[in-house]
Amino acid sequence: MPSLKAERAIVHERTDIEPAAAARAAGHVTLEPGLRHPDGAAVRIRGLNKSFGGPRVLDQVDLDIAPGEFLAIVGKSGCGKSTLLRILTGLDTPQSGEVSVDGRTPGNNAADIRLMFQEPRLLPWASVAGNVAVGLRQDAHPGNEADRAVAEALKAVQLPEKAGVWPATLSGGQKQRVALARALVSRPRLLALDEPLGALDALTRLVMQALILRVKQETGFTAVLVTHDVAEAVALADRVIVLEAGRIAAEFRVDAPHPRPTASEEAARIEARILEAIFHGRTAA
Amino acid sequence: MSASDTIYATGLATTPDASAQGPTVDLARIAGHALPFLLPVGVLLIWEAAVAAGWISDALMPRPSAVAVAAWETLVSGELFTHLGVSALRALSGLLIGGSIGFLLGLANGISDLSNRATDTTLQMIRNIPNLALLPLVIVWFGIGEGAKLFLVSIGVFFPIYLNTLHGIRNVDRQLIEMGKAYGMSPATLFRRILLPGALPSVFVGLRYALGIMWLTLIVAETLSASSGLGYMAMKAREFMILEVVVLSILLYAVLGKVADIATRALERRTLAWSPVYAKS
Repeated sequence: MPSLKAERAIVHERTDIEPAAAARAAGHVTLEPGLRHPDGAAVRIRGLNKSFGGPRVLDQVDLDIAPGEFLAIVGKSGCGKSTLLRILTGLDTPQSGEVSVDGRTPGNNAADIRLMFQEPRLLPWASVAGNVAVGLRQDAHPGNEADRAVAEALKAVQLPEKAGVWPATLSGGQKQRVALARALVSRPRLLALDEPLGALDALTRLVMQALILRVKQETGFTAVLVTHDVAEAVALADRVIVLEAGRIAAEFRVDAPHPRPTASEEAARIEARILEAIFHGRTAA
Repeated sequence: MSASDTIYATGLATTPDASAQGPTVDLARIAGHALPFLLPVGVLLIWEAAVAAGWISDALMPRPSAVAVAAWETLVSGELFTHLGVSALRALSGLLIGGSIGFLLGLANGISDLSNRATDTTLQMIRNIPNLALLPLVIVWFGIGEGAKLFLVSIGVFFPIYLNTLHGIRNVDRQLIEMGKAYGMSPATLFRRILLPGALPSVFVGLRYALGIMWLTLIVAETLSASSGLGYMAMKAREFMILEVVVLSILLYAVLGKVADIATRALERRTLAWSPVYAKS
């Protein structure tokens, strides 16, 4: 365990509150003015339930995400975090409860909500540019404007020179950057990231984290990151929630400005708190 | 030296001159190109020598040079091209008809569960009938006309293409399909951009397999009931004991098979250029 001797914590954590209270409090998240962005979508979830025949995977989840906020969801395997993300992106439907992104049900505004998977999921038979073009809005006409959008997205992920090559020739990190470009090319208002860096090596992961953060700050979308890497959550997110058996068990604010120093004591301290919430929070009680 | 040997020898000798660039690099390249032909040319030489030495009876197995002469004679008389053309036309039309039906049914059954449940069981039952078992029935139905050959070849090529198309569609990466749906692709776009290209490698496996069956079916059909085509040419020659022509038609099948294979490979390399298997190094 790292020592917890920070003089002035820049991190405010709320570990000891009831889940319901945490959820209620989450409804009143206020962000620093600099973090608000008109391009980000507002997410509102009320009383969300989901089960796949067995016990509830998501149990009465209430959650609000402010426009432009970077939210990280952490928790053990099977805690429901991926299901929450799939419902948010319209790939799954809630059993009961209300989910709205920009006041609309997810699924009807696909181009405004983009999902990045753990695997790149690139079409092997399309060039890198062709793969990025998959992310264009459905009503976009092929032409100069579409080409320019694809080129811009590739530039944003620092792969402009790879536009014409087949995905099979790229490294794992490059493939995931193409997947990021594909997710960004429609200028989404909500970007959902389902452990997108989980399969990458540690160094590539750091580079990708910086890249995601940079495009996030440039374009200002709302981001929801599902991860089991607590350090990654603390490095990237404005707010980290811990999901435990389908409920929000704890919630942490991370207010440190970007770029955040790696391996700082404050970060280590909040990481330790989050890990404690994951492993001993509700299960120990 | 016989005529056929001379043909092969000149073929080898002209290759280096045509692509002469650097003497050291070229030798290795020529050797690389020549390697696949070493075995067939060697077999021809030994065969010629064996007949010439009297180890093999000329009456039972004509020597390559005699076959070459027969090829020249039928070529000059126009007989060769007539039969070759007729056979090739039958093979290709059968492939087109049977292959298209197999491809379309494979797509339909791969995509639609309803279509699959309605037709797949029936097709699997028919598949277990050797298509040549239908020959007596087909002769009664179509006589020795073109219909019989088309019918048999179509049925023969149908199944490998149907099965491999179905398999290809079924095995398209589910994650890619989910990605397509998450990115708002319509069913038509999903089919065009993900299902079809994903199934294509498997379709090609079916096509190459179908080509083999296509020739086999056609030869048997032409041998047993036809008034034209390579198989007929061979059967007619057998009646007159002109074995050179019999051997010639057998060799032509080998050439035709190889040509069909080369064409498919070229098509495959073009269509599946994205695959690491065909990546240019």
